[in-house]
Amino acid sequence: MSHLTDTKKDASYLVMGNEAIVRGAIEAGVNVASGYPGTPSSEIIESLSRVASERNLYVEWSVNEKVALEVAAAASFAQLRSLCAMKQNGVNVASDFLLHLVGSGTRGGFVLVTCDDPGALSSVNEGESRYFSRLMEIPLLEPGNFQEAKDMTKWAFELSEELKQIVVVRSVTRMSHASGNIRYGELPDIERKAEFKYSGFIFDPEEGVVISAPVDWKHQQQQAKVKRAMEIFENCPFNTYEGPDKPELLLITSSACYLYSKEAVNVLGIEDRVGILKLGTTWPLPPKLLAKNLSRTQKIMIVEEVLPFLEENVKILAAEMAAEIGVKTFYGKKDGTIPMTNELNPDLVISGLSKILGMEYVPVSAEYDQLAKLSAFVGAPARDQVFCPGCPHRASFLSIHNALELDGRKGFVCGDIGCYSMAVRPTGFETLKTLHSMGSGMGVASGFGKLGQFGMDQPILAVCGDSTFYHAVIPALVNAVHNKANITLVVLDNSGTAMTGFQPHPGLDYNVMGDEVPCIDVAKICSAIGARVEITDPFDLKGTREMLNNLIEDSNGVKVLIMRKACALSPQRKNKKDFEMRVDETICLGEECGCNRFCTRIFRCPGLVWNEKKKKAEIDQVICAGCGVCADICPQHAIVKEEVA
Amino acid sequence: MEEKVLNRGQQKVRSNVLDAGLCTGCGACINLCPYYQSYRGKTAVLFPCTIDEGRCFAYCPKIEVDLEELSQRLFGKPYDGSPLGSCQSVLMSKATDIIKGSKPQAGGTVSALMYYALKKGFIDGAVLMDRQGLLPVPHFVGDANDVLACSQSKYTAAPALAEVNQAVKDGYKNIGMVGTPCQVLSAAKMRMNPLMKEDFIDPFGLIIGLFCTWAIDYRLFEPFVIKKIDIDQIEKIDIPPPPAEILQIFGKNGEKLEIPLSEIRELVPKGCSYCVDMTSEFSDLSVGVMEGRPDMNTLIIRTDRARRLVYGAQEEGYLQVSEMPEENLEHLMWAAGNKKRKGLIKACDEGLINATEETNSYLKIRQDILNKLIA
Ligand SMILES: Cc1cc2nc3c(=O)[nH]c(=O)nc-3n(C[C@H](O)[C@H](O)[C@H](O)COP(=O)(O)OP(=O)(O)OC[C@H]3O[C@@H](n4cnc5c(N)ncnc54)[C@H](O)[C@@H]3O)c2cc1C
Ligand code: SF4
Ligand code: SF4
Ligand code: SF4
Repeated sequence: MSHLTDTKKDASYLVMGNEAIVRGAIEAGVNVASGYPGTPSSEIIESLSRVASERNLYVEWSVNEKVALEVAAAASFAQLRSLCAMKQNGVNVASDFLLHLVGSGTRGGFVLVTCDDPGALSSVNEGESRYFSRLMEIPLLEPGNFQEAKDMTKWAFELSEELKQIVVVRSVTRMSHASGNIRYGELPDIERKAEFKYSGFIFDPEEGVVISAPVDWKHQQQQAKVKRAMEIFENCPFNTYEGPDKPELLLITSSACYLYSKEAVNVLGIEDRVGILKLGTTWPLPPKLLAKNLSRTQKIMIVEEVLPFLEENVKILAAEMAAEIGVKTFYGKKDGTIPMTNELNPDLVISGLSKILGMEYVPVSAEYDQLAKLSAFVGAPARDQVFCPGCPHRASFLSIHNALELDGRKGFVCGDIGCYSMAVRPTGFETLKTLHSMGSGMGVASGFGKLGQFGMDQPILAVCGDSTFYHAVIPALVNAVHNKANITLVVLDNSGTAMTGFQPHPGLDYNVMGDEVPCIDVAKICSAIGARVEITDPFDLKGTREMLNNLIEDSNGVKVLIMRKACALSPQRKNKKDFEMRVDETICLGEECGCNRFCTRIFRCPGLVWNEKKKKAEIDQVICAGCGVCADICPQHAIVKEEVA
Repeated sequence: MEEKVLNRGQQKVRSNVLDAGLCTGCGACINLCPYYQSYRGKTAVLFPCTIDEGRCFAYCPKIEVDLEELSQRLFGKPYDGSPLGSCQSVLMSKATDIIKGSKPQAGGTVSALMYYALKKGFIDGAVLMDRQGLLPVPHFVGDANDVLACSQSKYTAAPALAEVNQAVKDGYKNIGMVGTPCQVLSAAKMRMNPLMKEDFIDPFGLIIGLFCTWAIDYRLFEPFVIKKIDIDQIEKIDIPPPPAEILQIFGKNGEKLEIPLSEIRELVPKGCSYCVDMTSEFSDLSVGVMEGRPDMNTLIIRTDRARRLVYGAQEEGYLQVSEMPEENLEHLMWAAGNKKRKGLIKACDEGLINATEETNSYLKIRQDILNKLIA
């Protein structure tokens, strides 16, 4: 049994932020949960799937975030409680449905959990999902600690049911992935029955049809819900103030920044000078609560990550209430007190505070700081991200790189989102030349493929992983085939959503709850759409490279090459060496003409190491995954593989 | 100040040959290491190499070719710029019908000599040129009976030396090869032990050079031909000697296409325009098509071992050899001299001859000889 379903009241556990959210949902009696994997949100659906049978939940990894939101919405329409989880940019994918959903309204409690990634620790963007709440006019809750993460999630379901509107709970990487002690509440035992009612009067939110029209009327309803939320937020226990009644400076913050702010005030020892207003309900802001707190002082500092969302909203309220509260001086993003990109940390808050309060504070020794800056500038020992030992992508990109070099017409690859995004770096031989959102590699390639008319004669490739293929590549593939774009799509099929931890996807015959399900075959889809389809094993370097050149030279529309090999960390390959590897020192050429360290200088699998003393390559037996592919890249055949019985 | 190490490796081959458009795809840099590969007639660099002194540079016929040194070392005399290079004799020849089923390009001299050399153990194997469709594919032949399958000229530039490098890697020490002048030039550079290795051995037992005015770029030729004929139907391609001015394509079912050479010259790679050698001057013997007698070959014997081979083949009835008429020789000299002059002038104009150590020359040649040749 998972601790997440412990029924002991007041049990206390050390949990990850994402688990706290999950416990909150379970305490709220969630019935259906869906999502699309994306760091830092993935553990939410995973943890829920583990308690699915015990708590009679339906949990799924959907094909993409938009479909996930639709799946969860259906449960809400049928009066169940549902949760949908995704990372920040997932909300962009789901946003078209979201816009219409907020117009139609919801029934059973419906919570959208978004986990943002300020500083892009595991993303290629630091997008803001908070603005969606304002844009879509729906309530936004942001937990400021682990207990709140649980309690707020539970409350969000109740709020959603009261408003008949979806409610957003937003976390960030440092909240989702850090751990803290929380106290559990009770688990409910009400069983909900699903029924979709549609025969009531068209305007009846409980029993009418669920649509966003008539737009004007529905929009008014929606805005009334925002007003109602505002009223509720005026007395919400998640909005707290701590500090002197009349502080010198009022610090307004939310989310993980609350923790940084508290620490900063504590380190500077200025608890008697600075008050902290921590907001748990960041959209819509409760005006009375704000008026009361803004009246405390003249100087206001707003601490938040990335864009000035809170800052702008507070300033608007302050302007509206200026007659009542007086004119304020604001410190935050706009005046440069707090940086507008990247994560925050206590040090950044400290330097902001000391500037405003005219305090001397040197966060780190000046000498160290100087050194750090210098080494960052001249290129500190580059600790580059690399593909794992035994990773099929290294072999795949070697073949793609070589095929393009041999072709010699300056061909290039449009990249996509997954581990293989790293192929913009030397680990993938710098093969990717564009990189944007899920599925956009193929979309962009489809566009490039139509530029022949303007003299473009460079071969065009796109890559995507298997999970990305289902997520957003299919429409782009249809587009490319239909519009006769002359391009080659490489599907790096490593049998799972590797980057985010092997969540099953539609290409597999089991789902997140362990049930047997039909798998959707990539090759069949592509041929049905009308592309020429080939399949190779990327560890067959010669065959793969030859096939690639053959496809690139085929100028008949869209070609698809599926490079099929399970990820080195996949359940079927992890900790299983196919080969015992060694380097025959007597024939290794090392730095000499004829090799020049091809294995450790160019191919660079972490399992291969250069022995500077002996001037020979070696296998690091601990790191080597035993895939055997380097035996085929060594020009001397000095890397020897022996099959493991 | 730290002494700057001058690069004599991939970096220079890249900048001075490949990027400068001088490469003729001879293959001398291929199969030495993982960094070069030939694909559809073009030489590609796959990854950068940081070595300062490498074989790619040492073997490439488009960088640091010291004509004086080559002539001294191979023939024991100075390079004098004579149109046909160092010759012992210039003859005309033709294969006999002792070799059954032979369909040579002209007189079949090359195939007959290679057949004979393999049969008699002059060499352990030979690098010849096969083809797949229109693409020339170098092929290592160990058995005399396989020589004929590789007969006929493939008029596109081809990586013959890649196969030589592979044979050397495989341990062959007495290799025969047939090549165009650029290919023969890289073979000659290899024979000189350019990197001064102690355990060096000259791997060549016989180098037969072909006459060549220019070759065709495969990547341009293939689409050009596809528009005119199904490639699988091609029986033979020929460029008959002047004044014909045509390229002929013979189909398997008897059809014959004639394409004016003016159209073909558009498809010649830039690298050929720098070539100063029409008769493969640094071979053991060179063979071309006899003007006015397309069933016969012109044969130039340059070395003692070539002379022994030719006379052996003649004696044992593989080859018919006779004297070359004076007027044919004159025109051959004129054509060869003309190519040399044009190539030298172009290279000279672009500053590629006798340049400094740092920029590296394409050719090194005694200044007085150069002045005489381009005057
Ligand atoms: C690109 C090219 C241009 C030529 N230009 C001229 C010219 O201007 N004037 C002239 O008199 N002769 C020229 N020749 C030579 C001529 O075409 C004949 O190859 C030569 O006369 C030998 O005739 P043969 O009957 O002995 O040939 P065969 O007995 O048929 O033997 C020909 C031999 O050449 C080899 N070979 C064919 N193509 C290539 C290639 N691309 N690279 C290396 N080896 C190859 C084959 O393996 C075979 O061994 C040229 C040849 C080539 C390949
Ligand atoms: S690729 Fe082979 S020869 Fe080269 S350093 Fe590695 S083991 Fe040695
Ligand atoms: S120097 Fe040697 S190893 Fe480097 S590219 Fe040239 S031939 Fe290859
Ligand atoms: S001319 Fe020959 S050796 Fe030189 S770069 Fe080209 S293929 Fe390589």
